[in-house]
Amino acid sequence: MKIVVCVSHVPDTATKVKIGDNGKTIDPKDVTYVVNPYDEFAIEEALKTRDAVGGEVVVISLGTDANKESIRKALAMGADSGILLKSDSYRDSLSVAKALAAEIKNQEAQLVFFGKQSVDYDAGIVGQLTAELLGFNSVSVVVDFKLEGEKITAEREIEGGREVIETSIPCVITAQKGLNEPRYASLKGIMAAKKKTIEDKEAAAAENYTEILTMSKPPAKSPGKILGEDASAVPELVKLLREEAKVI
Amino acid sequence: MNFKSDQSEIQDYLNDAANFKGKCERVYLPESVDDIVKIVKSANSNRKKITVCGARTGLTGGAVPQEGLVLSTEKLNKIIKISSEEKFAVVQPGVFLSELNEKLSELNLYYPPDPTEQNCFIGGTIATNASGAKTFKYGPTRNFVQELSIILPDGEMLNLKRGEVNAKNYILSLKTESNNVIEIGLPKITMPKTKHSAGYYITENMDAIDLFIGMEGTLGIITEIKLALIKKPAKIISMVIFFKTESEALQFVKIVRDLSKKYPGATDKINARGIEFFDKNSFKFVKGSPGLIPKNTGAAIWIEQETTTKSQDAILEEWITLMETNNINVDESWIALSEKERKEFEYFRHSVPSQVNEYISRNNFRKVGTDTAVPDNKLEEYYNYCKQTAENSGIDYVIYGHIGNSHIHLNFILKSQQEYEPAKQLYKQMCIKAVELGGTVSAEHGIGKMKREYLVDMFGEEIVKEMAAIKKTLDPKLILNIGNIFDPGIFN
Repeated sequence: MKIVVCVSHVPDTATKVKIGDNGKTIDPKDVTYVVNPYDEFAIEEALKTRDAVGGEVVVISLGTDANKESIRKALAMGADSGILLKSDSYRDSLSVAKALAAEIKNQEAQLVFFGKQSVDYDAGIVGQLTAELLGFNSVSVVVDFKLEGEKITAEREIEGGREVIETSIPCVITAQKGLNEPRYASLKGIMAAKKKTIEDKEAAAAENYTEILTMSKPPAKSPGKILGEDASAVPELVKLLREEAKVI
Repeated sequence: MNFKSDQSEIQDYLNDAANFKGKCERVYLPESVDDIVKIVKSANSNRKKITVCGARTGLTGGAVPQEGLVLSTEKLNKIIKISSEEKFAVVQPGVFLSELNEKLSELNLYYPPDPTEQNCFIGGTIATNASGAKTFKYGPTRNFVQELSIILPDGEMLNLKRGEVNAKNYILSLKTESNNVIEIGLPKITMPKTKHSAGYYITENMDAIDLFIGMEGTLGIITEIKLALIKKPAKIISMVIFFKTESEALQFVKIVRDLSKKYPGATDKINARGIEFFDKNSFKFVKGSPGLIPKNTGAAIWIEQETTTKSQDAILEEWITLMETNNINVDESWIALSEKERKEFEYFRHSVPSQVNEYISRNNFRKVGTDTAVPDNKLEEYYNYCKQTAENSGIDYVIYGHIGNSHIHLNFILKSQQEYEPAKQLYKQMCIKAVELGGTVSAEHGIGKMKREYLVDMFGEEIVKEMAAIKKTLDPKLILNIGNIFDPGIFN
């Protein structure tokens, strides 16, 4: 079976992000990019599924040449081949989903894994949109996945518990933390990845329905106040908690 | 000046990472050199004992007071200067190592000493001559200390610059800022040919600054430090390699060590900067990806190598060939080329001691963990001795450590308080064995208050008395860090 895993190339969550001069994007200078952490669970599940049922895993990422680093990482973990859908301008979630859906259709894949969201824009919807565009079934925020023949049993996290969903391929699964423990690349995997192909393709054109007007950082926290060091400060503290912070 | 005397406020100062406990009357938080001089002078006239404390991440009780005052360096926390051109940093003692590293990284600079605990103060690392994983390539903290400003126990200021004052025939002559000359006779001893942090560092024509690196606070209070830096390595390859048995792992360590020492500066040949070891029992404490450890693993090593973008592929090929010729399952190894994953491996390694120490604190036990190192050609003999001794005792244990430097931490994992005394006896045997093999009783943690008797086991009573005489010369009223390195009885 052909399995596709869609991978996003995102700023490392440990990076201190600055807003660019245009006020609409981040300043990419000094930013380290990594595979979207949720996509690592998607890659691992795709590899496990391939190892169990046979077939191949194709990694698809939409973006610029820089995304090849994340594709290469998935190849080092064991994916078979990669495709970069080239696109260097901003795309909203639907536009991304349309380009991905076109390529997944082209690949004739039956099973597609996404991370539940990418940690850059946090829209959390590209997987589901892609499923809809392809007419595939879809289970999101999955923490347990089983494939028997064409039947899929997936557990998803819901508020205060879990629900078990049964469906069948073709299907899009979006992965949540806890689905598995993503493997580290092995030395041989790293070297083998260098020999695997990453195909460059133009991403299918699709218009944006939304536009980023401005981007800004959350307001800096206001500094704390020290009212005193002993019991004499308590009346003032109580007054401020009541009148200023309005918490008591 | 700020101080705390309410017992509820000073509890944090009465304990360290080894869960060694103490007591004191008052904790001072000086903010300047003048503040420290005042405290020291008043302590001298009132005969109050002062214990200097940093971040209390030590493992020997060195920062824990037994009586009197605590002088915490936490407010002396400024990075005074970093020079990218001349590659040095000037810092106060209360700067966190992690904070310095973060600043340096932004400037593409690097400070190699890497004690496993990153939340330590730089001052603490000087006082203990801290080392760690990267000591294999770079040596301990000592190698990076260029200048020190020190307030002596009588309140006099001493400034030392590496290369300026050397001992002659085991005699050191120090001149304080106010031109007082202090002459110090040094015991005629030979340092072991291993990493070493037990007692004072002494050689015949030693640099004066080296006496104060690893002095555990007994000779003065460090107020300013100038550290040498290097350029940040361009690329780092990080690997975790798994073995069926410990003996296979030790064999491979020997091969990697020998290859690395052939071309010390090379980034295009096999040249590890650190070689770290985990026994099977350590995996019970490891955090971060324990589920990915291959089945039937008997031991693992974590290796880091610095390289360049250009050499990286060739180096990786060399490692694969080396591993294959040594029958290592290359497919089961882990490799990190990104900083994010490198940090995950680091966490994997660092989680072992932190979880072990956590277990000790949670159960209110005292740490019984070796810090011994032996010459490289004795490592296997020493490892097997320690393992067999621990195995025969029936007390649980883990072995991990800086195996590249033939330096191992065997920690007893006590199940009850009753196991403490027998474990301590075995610990002593392991120290004595390390000395017999030409090694040291403490390679990096220092002696503190917990390991004094082993210093005597190592050097003998006479030499330790001569070391104590150095302290007495600089601290005639015996006020500073009493109990560290020497049993107070030695001064009677």
